[in-house]
Amino acid sequence: MQLSQRAPSWRALLAMGAFTVLVLPFAAAADETSPAAGLPLEEQVQYCGFCHGSDGNSTQPGTPSLAGQPALAITNQLIYFRERLRQSEIMTPQARGLDDEEIQAMAAYYADQPVAEPEGERDADLAKQGQEIVTSQGCASCHSSDYSGREQMPRLAGQREDYLFAAMVAYRDRTRGGPDTTMIDIMRGISDEDIEAMAHHLAHFDD
Amino acid sequence: MTLPVFTRLTLAISAASLMLVSTMSAAEEEPQPAWAQGRSAEMAGSSLAPHATPMTTTAEENIPVDDIRLPDGFSAEIWANGMPGARMMALGDDGTLFVGTRSIGRVYAVQDNGEEREHQIIAEGLTQPNGLAFKDGSLYVAAINRILRYDDIESQVADGTISDPEELTDAFGLPDDEHHGWKFLAFGPDDRLYIPVGAPCNGCEVDEDSHATIHSFEPDGSDMQVVARGVRNSVGFDFHPETGELWFTDNNQDWLSEHGPNDELNRVSEPGAFYGFPVCHGIGIVDPDLGSEGSCDGVTMPVATMDPHSAPLGMRFYDGEMFPEEYQNAIFIARRGSWNRALSVGYDIQVAKISDDGERAGLSPFMVGLHDPHENDFSGRPVDVLQMPDGALLVADEQNGAIYRISYETPDYDAE
Repeated sequence: MQLSQRAPSWRALLAMGAFTVLVLPFAAAADETSPAAGLPLEEQVQYCGFCHGSDGNSTQPGTPSLAGQPALAITNQLIYFRERLRQSEIMTPQARGLDDEEIQAMAAYYADQPVAEPEGERDADLAKQGQEIVTSQGCASCHSSDYSGREQMPRLAGQREDYLFAAMVAYRDRTRGGPDTTMIDIMRGISDEDIEAMAHHLAHFDD
Repeated sequence: MTLPVFTRLTLAISAASLMLVSTMSAAEEEPQPAWAQGRSAEMAGSSLAPHATPMTTTAEENIPVDDIRLPDGFSAEIWANGMPGARMMALGDDGTLFVGTRSIGRVYAVQDNGEEREHQIIAEGLTQPNGLAFKDGSLYVAAINRILRYDDIESQVADGTISDPEELTDAFGLPDDEHHGWKFLAFGPDDRLYIPVGAPCNGCEVDEDSHATIHSFEPDGSDMQVVARGVRNSVGFDFHPETGELWFTDNNQDWLSEHGPNDELNRVSEPGAFYGFPVCHGIGIVDPDLGSEGSCDGVTMPVATMDPHSAPLGMRFYDGEMFPEEYQNAIFIARRGSWNRALSVGYDIQVAKISDDGERAGLSPFMVGLHDPHENDFSGRPVDVLQMPDGALLVADEQNGAIYRISYETPDYDAE
C-alpha cells in the first residue's frame, strides 16, 4: 500500500516498541507526583521536550506535537490526565501534582511555539482523498477552516501523521478515554484507509 | 382584547418560520457533534457553539462579584472559591456544603468554620457528577450513569478521609447516554429520590417511559415511578414548601430559531403528565419535524416561560426568614446563559412569584450583572441556588468555580 512505500511504516515502529524505550526516563515517577511539578517553566518544558520535542514539535513516533496548539486544548488535556479522566500510563504520572497555574503556563508556552514542517513527503493523491473526507466530516466546523484549532479543540494542521491516525482510530474504536466524546460520534464507521488519508492531508495541510 | 390575538399571531408566524428552517435541515445528514444536531444547512457556517467551561481555578481577584447587581438591600459576597466547574449544591445536616461538577469529574465538600470556608475534593475521576442530594447522613451522587451513596459523609469530611461509596448504579438501572445524561438530584417530601433522564439528543423520538422523563425511586433504587414525561432536559427542580408539588425547569430545543422555543418553568399537578417533548415546545409550538397538527393538545403547558436558550438550571423555593416577605415561597432560578443564539441572554438569577391559585408564575430578574449585553459577553454563569439555614442564598458560578452568598439587610434610605 502507498503508505509503506513512502517511508518506514510508523505503525511498524510503534509495534517495535520505539515508543516505550524513549519513555523510560519517567519510569521512576511512581509516587504519582509529576517530576516537573514545582519546577520553573524552563525546566518543566525540558521534561515535556524529552518526548514532545524541545520546541514542542515531536519527532517521536506516536507522540503528538504541542507547538501551536490552542492553550486551552493543552490545558484541558493535561487536566483530564491529572484528574484521571483520560487514562494514560504515560501522561497521568506526568500530570499528577501540577497545579492549574503551572499547566496554564506550559500551555501558553507551547501555544506560542511555531509549527515545524511535517516529516515525510506529501502524497498528492492521498492528500486529495483525505481532503474530501475531512471536508465531508465537517472537521473545520470545530477545528477552524485552517485546522489550527480553536479554544479546547486542538490544532490538526501540521500534527504528526502517525499521532493523528492513532488518535482517530482510538476515538472510532472507543479506546481513547476521557470526557471528549464528541469525536466518537464523528469517527464512527470510518475505515482505516480513510483515516490514513485524513491524517495525511491534515499533517501536510498548508494554507 | 387585542393582546391575545397578537400573541397568537406571533406564535403562528414563528411556528411557520421554524418549519421553514427545519425543511432545509432534513436534507442534511452529515456527521456532526452532538450539540450540532438539528443545525440546518444554512446555519452550517454559524459560529454558535457551546462555550467551553474552564477547568482551571479563577484567581479570587478575577471573580466578578463586583459585577453583580441586586435589588435594594441585597448584597453579594464570595463565600467560597477555587472549585473549578462548581455546579449543583446540597447541604448536609451539620452544615457541610457539597458541590458537584461536570467535565472536571469532581465532587467538592466545603466546610465553614464561621469565618472562612475550606474545601476538599471528596471524589474525582467521575463522569459528570452533577447531581447531589443529602439524606439521613448520606450524600447521594449522580454521575453518568452511576448512583453512589457516601454514608456518614460529614464525619468523613471532618476526618479528611473518604471511604469508597456504596455503588447503587445497578439498583437504579439508569440509561448511560452521555447526551443530556448529567443529572439533578433531590429528595421529595415523600422521602423518595427524584432523578431526571434527559433526551439523548437535541430532538428525537424517545421511549416516553425511559427518556425525557423525571423519575422517582425509593432511596435504595427500588420502586421506580415516572413523575413527568416529555421533559427534554431538566437540570433543576424543587418541591413547593406548602403543597409539596414538584416544580421543575426545562431546557428546550436548540437550532429551531434564535427566538424560540422558550425555556420553561413547569409544575407537576398530576403525576406522569406529558410536557410536550419532542412534538410540542414552549407554549404550543409544534415541532416542525416530529410534530403535526394537534401535537400540543393535551400537553401540560409551562407555568412560566423564559428567554429561548437561556438555560434555566438549578431552582429552589425560598422559605427563609432573612429576605423580605414578598419572597416567601417564591422560586429562585439560576440561568446559565445561552450559546445557541447570536444575541446572548441569561447568566442571571430570576425570581418566580407564584399566583394565588398556585397555577402560574411571573418572572423577574433578581441577580444580574454577569451578562454584558452591550459586548454580547458574560463574566459568570450561575447554575444553582441554595437557601442556607440563616436565610441567605448561595449561588454557584460554574464559570469561575465560585459560590456567592446573597444576604439582605433592610436599606436605610435616610442614611448618608
